Amino acid sequence: MKLKTFRYDGDETNDEPHYDDFEVPHEPGQTVLDALFYIQENLDDSLSFRYSCRGAVCGSCAMLINKVPRLACRTQVKPLLEGKDDAEIKHYPALDEGENTGEDFVLVEPLPHLPVEKDLIVNEEKFFEFYREMEPYLQAEGEVPEDEFRMSPEVVEELEDYTNCILCAACFGSCPVDGENENYRGPAALAKLFRFHIDPRDDEDRLVLADHEDGWWDCDFHINCKKVCPKDVPPNKAIGKARGELQQDKE
Amino acid sequence: MEKENLHEHDILVIGGGLTGLRASLEAMSNDKDVAVISKVHPLRSHSVAAQGGINAALGNAPDRGDDDWKDHAFDTVKGSDYLADQDAVEILCKNAPEAVLELEHMGTVFSRFESGKIAQRPFGGAGFPRTCYAADRTGHNLLHTLYEQSLSGEMTYYDEYFVTSLVKDDGRCAGCVALNIKEGRLHAFSGSVIMATGGFGRIYNRSTNALINTGDGAFLAYDIGAVLEDMEFIQFHPTTLYGSNILMTEGARGEGGYLKDSEGERFMKEYAPEAMELAPRDIVARAIMNVVNEGRGIEDEYVHLDLTHLGAEKIKERLPGIRQIAMDFAGVDPIEEPIPVQPGQHYSMGGISVNTDCETDVPGLYAAGECSSVSAHGANRLGGNSLLETVVFGRIAGARASESPVHRGADESLFSKAVNRDRDLIESITGRDEGILYSDILEELRETMFQHFGVFREGEEMKEGLAKIKDLQSEFDDVYVQSDSSKFNQALIRTLELRNMLFISEAVAIGAIEREESRGSHYRTDFTGRRDDEYLQHTVLEKGEEGPVLDYAPVNLGRFEVRERDY
Repeated sequence: MKLKTFRYDGDETNDEPHYDDFEVPHEPGQTVLDALFYIQENLDDSLSFRYSCRGAVCGSCAMLINKVPRLACRTQVKPLLEGKDDAEIKHYPALDEGENTGEDFVLVEPLPHLPVEKDLIVNEEKFFEFYREMEPYLQAEGEVPEDEFRMSPEVVEELEDYTNCILCAACFGSCPVDGENENYRGPAALAKLFRFHIDPRDDEDRLVLADHEDGWWDCDFHINCKKVCPKDVPPNKAIGKARGELQQDKE
Repeated sequence: MEKENLHEHDILVIGGGLTGLRASLEAMSNDKDVAVISKVHPLRSHSVAAQGGINAALGNAPDRGDDDWKDHAFDTVKGSDYLADQDAVEILCKNAPEAVLELEHMGTVFSRFESGKIAQRPFGGAGFPRTCYAADRTGHNLLHTLYEQSLSGEMTYYDEYFVTSLVKDDGRCAGCVALNIKEGRLHAFSGSVIMATGGFGRIYNRSTNALINTGDGAFLAYDIGAVLEDMEFIQFHPTTLYGSNILMTEGARGEGGYLKDSEGERFMKEYAPEAMELAPRDIVARAIMNVVNEGRGIEDEYVHLDLTHLGAEKIKERLPGIRQIAMDFAGVDPIEEPIPVQPGQHYSMGGISVNTDCETDVPGLYAAGECSSVSAHGANRLGGNSLLETVVFGRIAGARASESPVHRGADESLFSKAVNRDRDLIESITGRDEGILYSDILEELRETMFQHFGVFREGEEMKEGLAKIKDLQSEFDDVYVQSDSSKFNQALIRTLELRNMLFISEAVAIGAIEREESRGSHYRTDFTGRRDDEYLQHTVLEKGEEGPVLDYAPVNLGRFEVRERDY
């Protein structure tokens, strides 16, 4: 198989962003991450990409694969090569910059909307800054029980929709609004804020933190976020509900 | 050394997983200036992958009456094949309910019983449904909770810094040197050190561990004089996904899953007629290997973990994570078909020897969690006890390090010297124009470890394995990295990890060869029985003039009588 990957060594004075092609032996069950390791171990050890768990739980390896943000460890090579890629998202300029996809290769690029550090590694500081802005920690003001807070399985089920987020930033890299507005807090940060809002143990007035035009109100419901999420988190649902509640409060 | 590259803190926590974060939170609550140094962003730590749960004698299971921490302790000691230190086990189990409730108060969304209380499921080797869980994503939920908590206060994070050595000042650990992976420069850090780097599973080619689990902390600590303990005890998890060896939680069996051979027979009845699939991991792993070796496996490689009889609803509610993994990585939906599984390396029981205050033999250096050996797991860890260990002993490490005097104003020349030495090492690797690639050595090392120090071990084969490890260590002298990039030079990082792994492998090998008995996870085909008269002792390894020196240290018994182990 051929893998075409974005390259940039992080220093503009001696390197221009460009693409390299690599020929990688295709094996059954091979993931894009496997192919990247093959290159790093056998063809070019300067190729850089983040990795850790290789099991789709740590959130390190989100990147743009055939123009769709996804985890390299979870993405099988075979369907991409066979043109059976079922990932469909709304495309927009920032996503479609650079090389075009082709039939006989897999195209791998860094996540959009975040500065490239080197090759497939982006600087996630902005993504995490938006996350931290949401004060993402439980703030229980009232009395803490001696044993556990009681919580019904139904409440847990609703919370799990959002606690499943692994902060991989795939949603951030897929959001057309983040492509237009660099201050838009983005799907992951807003979903996290909503997770604390609906936590019955939390006493803070949460929704106000993003009650502004770079927060809840900037989403256009393209729903790319939910489509690319490797954990099926629905930020669009959180945003819709938050808006409804805020509107009701104002009425 | 440039001034801006020397960072002073009270406490340096190396590793940002559950242990590191719990230790940091404790030190932070004691108003200490804490820095977490990690080679990955803390949320990428391997703790995030833990699935099944965390044990505590809460006794929440409906209609089951009360649970008792002493029963938890007994199960843990028996599970350890009596090698665990019973004082450490007592601390672990006594503190478990408080530790779990604390996590709940911090914000963890645990699964619940209808009563609204934290749900608990049965786990291997446990006489009670004692494992608290958040579906099958318990580690993920706990790690995010602790990271979130750290954001509510003041803590410094040095993300993507790879520690290259510890610095000693007058017999005391005074800090460390670390490579900033992003910029490629060495920095020095002064402060007491809490080692929380996790395990070393990646010395094996079949492992559930994250790719970053390379045993860095154990090597670094050993290198400045800390003692390593029980390194030969490697847990092989019975059920890892065939192909990628991603963990398929014991919770799958806790929820009622069956193990079946190619004929559809539940073969565990031959090995543990009472406990069946919920026997401890070492016993189930050996059973599967035997079944496959006897030709009763599928494709001579694996057996089936069958959940189909549990029904779609239960699988979706309790085991959504492993269902997704099975579909993504093996193309199998557990609701429809059984999951192909085989044993794979999962956990390192051994590690840096510490007392119950998490102190190593080097003042100023503490250790907790999987990189350490306190020893609460002995020769075999029970499922659900590792997450527990991270928070119970992480907290103790943070508290003890907070009590010790702050070590400020260490001689700067010591740090300069250490930085220069590490720079020389790095330049010797990047400076070579030809030689051997780290990836070639690594692949051979991993194969060697699985073949010679796997589920079944034998004296002569292990000696061959050790000789092979020594050869690979010599080859490392010629290792080279082609990339001359200073930014994110991952080939260099992986080469430095390999140095650590080559040593760790030797430590495992020495301990395994010398222990002429079978106990817990260490099973020898040439010594199939447990030999308490000689080996009811911890293996200890210390750095000597000419390599590691092996000795034995007594086990702390006292609460439970040593018996034969049956299930």
